[in-house]
Amino acid sequence: MILSSMRDVVFGYGQEAVIENLSLDIHAGQLIGITGENGAAKSTLLKLMLGLLKPWSGTVNFRRIQEDGTRLNVAYVPQQAASFNTGFPSKVSELVSSGYYSRLGLFRRFKAEHRQKVEQVLQRTEMWAYRNRKIGDLSGGQKQRVCIARALVQEPDVLVLDEPTTGMDAASRMKLYGMLREDVSRHGRTVIMVTHGLEEATPYLDALIHLERKEGGWQCSVTNSCNGPSGQEA
Amino acid sequence: MLSYEFMQRAFWAGGLIAIIAPLLGVYLMLRRQALMADTLSHVSLAGVALGSVLHLNPALSGFAVAVAGGLIIEQLRRSYRTYSEMPVAIIMTSGLALAVVLMSLKQNLSKSFGSYLFGSIVAVSNTQLALIALVALLGVAYFIILRRPLYSMIFDEETAEISGVRVKALSFSFAVLTGMTVAAAMPVVGVLLVSALIVLPASLALRIAAGFTSAIFIAIGTGMLGVFSGLSVSYYADTPPGGTIALILLSFLLVTILIQRLLRLIGRRRPQKTIQSKESNIHEILEA
Repeated sequence: MILSSMRDVVFGYGQEAVIENLSLDIHAGQLIGITGENGAAKSTLLKLMLGLLKPWSGTVNFRRIQEDGTRLNVAYVPQQAASFNTGFPSKVSELVSSGYYSRLGLFRRFKAEHRQKVEQVLQRTEMWAYRNRKIGDLSGGQKQRVCIARALVQEPDVLVLDEPTTGMDAASRMKLYGMLREDVSRHGRTVIMVTHGLEEATPYLDALIHLERKEGGWQCSVTNSCNGPSGQEA
Repeated sequence: MLSYEFMQRAFWAGGLIAIIAPLLGVYLMLRRQALMADTLSHVSLAGVALGSVLHLNPALSGFAVAVAGGLIIEQLRRSYRTYSEMPVAIIMTSGLALAVVLMSLKQNLSKSFGSYLFGSIVAVSNTQLALIALVALLGVAYFIILRRPLYSMIFDEETAEISGVRVKALSFSFAVLTGMTVAAAMPVVGVLLVSALIVLPASLALRIAAGFTSAIFIAIGTGMLGVFSGLSVSYYADTPPGGTIALILLSFLLVTILIQRLLRLIGRRRPQKTIQSKESNIHEILEA
């Protein structure tokens, strides 16, 4: 199933186009990496895909309704998610629990089962020990993990992460890749991730989108079946 | 003091404003819009002047213009994303300029403006008290019902939007409520100090609260304490209520900062003392 489809997309900032005539299909149920040099418009590509930015020309379709008619649950961890207001008055558990708000709506109660899920996600992201800490008192890598935990607690159908490993050490990065891989393989979740750590992430990916600026133009190459579990075209 | 009807009205008005203004303040501070209250109070002043010139109820015209100002700021904020403080400066100067020009059109208007600029206990009319009660009721209901999407929005607008929060609509409704609260608070603390009641209790709460809910309750508690003590001092010392309330709230904030620094200092010294005593114990053992 095609989750997102971009056709002849042109977008830029000011007068300069940073994406020109891009056409791309993203399939559901894959772990997809987006890579490229600094300024290759990786984050812009994600925001266009999610509808946070409108293209100058071309079309972007993101499938928001699933085949069974229910709304697709999308979670997003932006670039430098950890650079949030350090004075934000919340404990780790409170912020991660807020990930549930989109599922609960305005009035449904936050029950014991939800609390259990929050605990589970905090354990998975190794942030359980910090659950009562103020989020402003955490290190950069810990803040990043809290933001990822907040996204995971939503149990999203699609998880979009923009450079999620910023501030993490090598061991934490590998654990994160492994966790995302497990979610895709077990639960059929779609994960789209912008990453700089191409070499270490590649073994976990189903497909890789490489963005490259070349003289006189801009190129996007798609490598399929990085580790071969699904073999679908990205 | 409370045997006077005007003081009863002032305490009712002050108490209601002390609930909604600090509550709004916590959200404004976290959205980095602390100056919005100041801006809208200037805009509201233009509305009061316009009402007087057009022979309308000044309280109602000030209210309507403040709400319109809130909506314009929100629209401009979306247009000037890179320079988000620019709309605030534009609207603040426009509001004040319009107020000054309108005031010059009508003689004797500047006299009654004193009560709007600095607040006056006797300035709280029945219409204003009814408006304040309505705003407080709507505001509390707004923050209770929309607590979850508001929390998501003030933490991060982009992630909130992706997860299904209607950020644009919520943001506009928030701007409307800000305009309403500012216009309602004006008779109690005055145009020049309305932001004190919104910003100071929230600043104190954000310094000491561990969680979001506790920040809200601390802000409201501080606001109420400041307003009630400020109104009492103002009555007995015959000082303007706006300035008195603002100074009391400021003193609360300064005392809190001082206590926090002292606690931090004590906290730093304790481990040093422990280390020193441990070191001296080791030396004693080694020498023995």
